[in-house]
Amino acid sequence: MLQKDVIHNKDHTETVHETENENFLKEFIERSITRRLIPKGLSWFGCMGGLSLLAFIIQLGTGIFLMFYFVPSTREALASIQYVSHRVSYGWLIQRIHAIGPHIMIGMVLSHMIRILFKGIYHHPRELHWVSGACLLILTLLMYYTGSLLPAHNDKYSTVHLTFLYAIHIAGIPLAMVLCMGMHFFMIRKTGIYEPL
Amino acid sequence: MKDYAKHKRPEMLEPFFPNEIFRHIIVSCFFIVIELIAIIVFPLHTNLVIKKPDHIPWFLLPVYKLNKLIHHETLFISLLIFFALLFISWPFLVSRKRHTALPINKEQDTRIHHVRYTKRHGNLWQSPIPFTIVIVVIISVVMLCFINL
Repeated sequence: MLQKDVIHNKDHTETVHETENENFLKEFIERSITRRLIPKGLSWFGCMGGLSLLAFIIQLGTGIFLMFYFVPSTREALASIQYVSHRVSYGWLIQRIHAIGPHIMIGMVLSHMIRILFKGIYHHPRELHWVSGACLLILTLLMYYTGSLLPAHNDKYSTVHLTFLYAIHIAGIPLAMVLCMGMHFFMIRKTGIYEPL
Repeated sequence: MKDYAKHKRPEMLEPFFPNEIFRHIIVSCFFIVIELIAIIVFPLHTNLVIKKPDHIPWFLLPVYKLNKLIHHETLFISLLIFFALLFISWPFLVSRKRHTALPINKEQDTRIHHVRYTKRHGNLWQSPIPFTIVIVVIISVVMLCFINL
């Protein structure tokens, strides 16, 4: 009898927790998406920031795919890239997206920053939005630079040098970018896009 | 989270879902189409050598030309760091007097505050010195790309 009561209480507690979690999730979705109101007439150019994020996600996805095949060695780097392009199914497409993507991504980030600069949206209290955005632009340029050196058939670089560049390209810079993005999005959520506080 | 509905009439607002979400979906579809067209149109260089001028991407061209113009590694790196710091700290360099605290529960006062804010934190062309600096820098960067060295 006592054991039955304990099991019943345990089940009841679990059900209460599940209901609380469901309510919390429902409320969160309603508050931040379905019932959320925004100022009318936002410009289409305001989507440039979102597109930069989309470009980053595409680069991340294709980059992870290429990581499985790339060999960071002066002798095998170029051969591994060519192997992906010619032997792996749809490898050419993934590799081309990863190579062309940065051009479009930097174009998006630059146009987003020029819009912010000319509209003066970086003023108080949004100075840190600009700081994190500018850091993201510099990190994106560095990401491109380190990435472009990886398949380079250049005797100037040793394998150690190439491995170091590879580590920076796949871990160091993306981590810094994710941190800056987190800061950027958190501040946008807190202060809004373009209005006095 | 910022509440945009505060001190605003209903006709000044629109729902985030579906309006803004659809706007982003449409623009994202355009983005993917542009990227796929770019993949087909532009050639891919797998044998990249970054020092070769033909393969310098458009966004690194000013940096490459600056390097060629200066001929001094230390000075070039110092200049790059200086410009990067200047770029990052731009809002602090051009900041004006901070706006006053927001009045509470007074719609009229809020509207006055909004007008004052817009006047003080307006578009770039409303402040002549920062505007001139930005235009001069943009023209210099573009000209740097076209210099034959």
